[in-house]
Amino acid sequence: MADSGTTAKARILVVDDSSLVRLYYRSTLEKAGFEVEQAINGIEAMERVLSQRFDMVIVDVNMPRMDGFTFLRSLRCGADDTATLPALMISTESETQDIAEARAAGANFYLVKPVAEAELLRHVCVLTGAPL
Amino acid sequence: MDDAASGASRAVRISPEDVQRFCEFLYRRTGMSFTEGKRYFIDHRLEDRIAATGSPSFQAYFSLLRADADHEIEHLINSFTVNETYFYREDHQLRCMTSDLLGGIVGHKPPGSTVRIWSIPCSTGEEPYSIALWLMENWPQVDDYNIEIVGSDIDTRALRAATKGIYGDRALMRLSRDIVARYFRPVADGKHEIDEGLRDSIQFTRANMIDAQDMAKYRDFDLIFCRNVLIYFDDASRRQAAENLYDCLRPGGYICLGHSESMSRISPLFSVCRFPDAIVYQRPEADHG
Amino acid sequence: MPLVKGGSKGSAAGGVSTARPPALDSADAESRWAAARALAGQADAVPVLSAALARETVPRVREAIMTALMRTGDAASVEAILPYLRSQDAGLRAAAIEALQGLPSAIAPFMAPLFSDPDSDVRLLATELARNMKASEATRLLCALIEREQHPNVCAAAIDVLTEVGTPEALPALEKCAVRFAATSFLPFAISMAISRISGGEG
Repeated sequence: MADSGTTAKARILVVDDSSLVRLYYRSTLEKAGFEVEQAINGIEAMERVLSQRFDMVIVDVNMPRMDGFTFLRSLRCGADDTATLPALMISTESETQDIAEARAAGANFYLVKPVAEAELLRHVCVLTGAPL
Repeated sequence: MDDAASGASRAVRISPEDVQRFCEFLYRRTGMSFTEGKRYFIDHRLEDRIAATGSPSFQAYFSLLRADADHEIEHLINSFTVNETYFYREDHQLRCMTSDLLGGIVGHKPPGSTVRIWSIPCSTGEEPYSIALWLMENWPQVDDYNIEIVGSDIDTRALRAATKGIYGDRALMRLSRDIVARYFRPVADGKHEIDEGLRDSIQFTRANMIDAQDMAKYRDFDLIFCRNVLIYFDDASRRQAAENLYDCLRPGGYICLGHSESMSRISPLFSVCRFPDAIVYQRPEADHG
Repeated sequence: MPLVKGGSKGSAAGGVSTARPPALDSADAESRWAAARALAGQADAVPVLSAALARETVPRVREAIMTALMRTGDAASVEAILPYLRSQDAGLRAAAIEALQGLPSAIAPFMAPLFSDPDSDVRLLATELARNMKASEATRLLCALIEREQHPNVCAAAIDVLTEVGTPEALPALEKCAVRFAATSFLPFAISMAISRISGGEG
């Protein structure tokens, strides 16, 4: 966790099947001093989360082979501390039911695409404890 | 399509944007990704493949690649991976087997029960024999159970070689001299033949992973090694193979893929399991519904 | 020696819990799974597979049914899978797209209607289907879409595919898009990436 006095950068996993979206988030976050890894769907995300330490995950909903809700529910069922990994869900859906489903699946926050850089950073800083 | 193949004898120009496009395709398709430091690795191989296919431009090559013309994906992946088979290849998975997987597998079984392990594709036999050797050398409970190891491949010539069990120095390079001395005997041409008892104890069969009827003959495996083959299949075949392998496993059984492979590019049927030595995939224990 | 050479058959009769032949309408998921797999590629099974898909709730059985339909891969199979692009269930939508992605020629006649669908979510998902098509065809379809598309997320999805498959023919449509969405988040970035990829090489 980044706080005053530590030099450790917060590590963020970005999960989206669009290479452009991943690139967009990565360039925004790296410019702000975060370390970023990527995954293309929920299965790869699970592999990454189980193999490396992350401070939070940003996860899309519509992805092949394992969607974001299924990934989050699996994550929250885990036996170790990955179960409480902060999660920012970002989706194209904006209906109330989608927000409710995201909460039920275990998302900490839910944003609707397209996401502005400032909005992304604000939520990431809240979830990682990094200063704005 | 594109401009005429002028300057075919000159190297084709590949821009950084072309490399980006190529890398994203490769990552999406296979899961392979490369850090900035490994960029030269990609550039050379991409140039090689463009030349090998006689493509007049990157765009022509990329179209060919996307259409998987002439099995280009297979050639491309081969150019990125080391394809040799040898004893104790990717031994971290063998270590995972004895350190973590077998405990769960035999946990519910009384002594004397059967443990079934499958190596598919087994190629010329290094993998199934490695499994056998590793178990005998590293699993304290190896004598408490009946271990059935099956090795299968679509290539009957490879299977014949596997049953003969004769190997050159390169195949044995990861084995200690002690193991070679105890389990192999020297034969002609500086090669070694694996112990007859081991040769007789592995069942070698011909099987086509994509053929559901073929695969229906195989059931109740506790552990399957399916390494470095699924990455070459197209989406539909990978899906088919995954469904077949699922049926061949017992509930709770495990499957190990090759080190560059991931179920994220294959199928959601299996759960991801992380152990100290390896990521493996598990057929879920209970059936829900 | 603890190693034994067994028969290739398993010790038990697999996981099927009933003695009856597998059936698509069985109460047992394992049986439905086996039944779907057994019908893979059979064109005359498309109607029963389609009906089974409509009532199936277990994800892996749903996917096995879709795989079975995919193996037939004709217009009827495509029509059986298409409605699930509208599903409220993200997993089901993803499964439908994956199945259809494997059928670029069978899906081709459906692309224009999908890109004109009143539901923006359907248009968005359909862009993914252009990825496995020939570059010229995919470019043509996606440009026709983005030229009239008002929804930023649908355009973003189309642009993502164009980044991979787009030919220089896409540049005018992309430039017009850039103007239309200049004030939107992410799109200017996406469009400039797509333009740079498409025109970057002389390729």
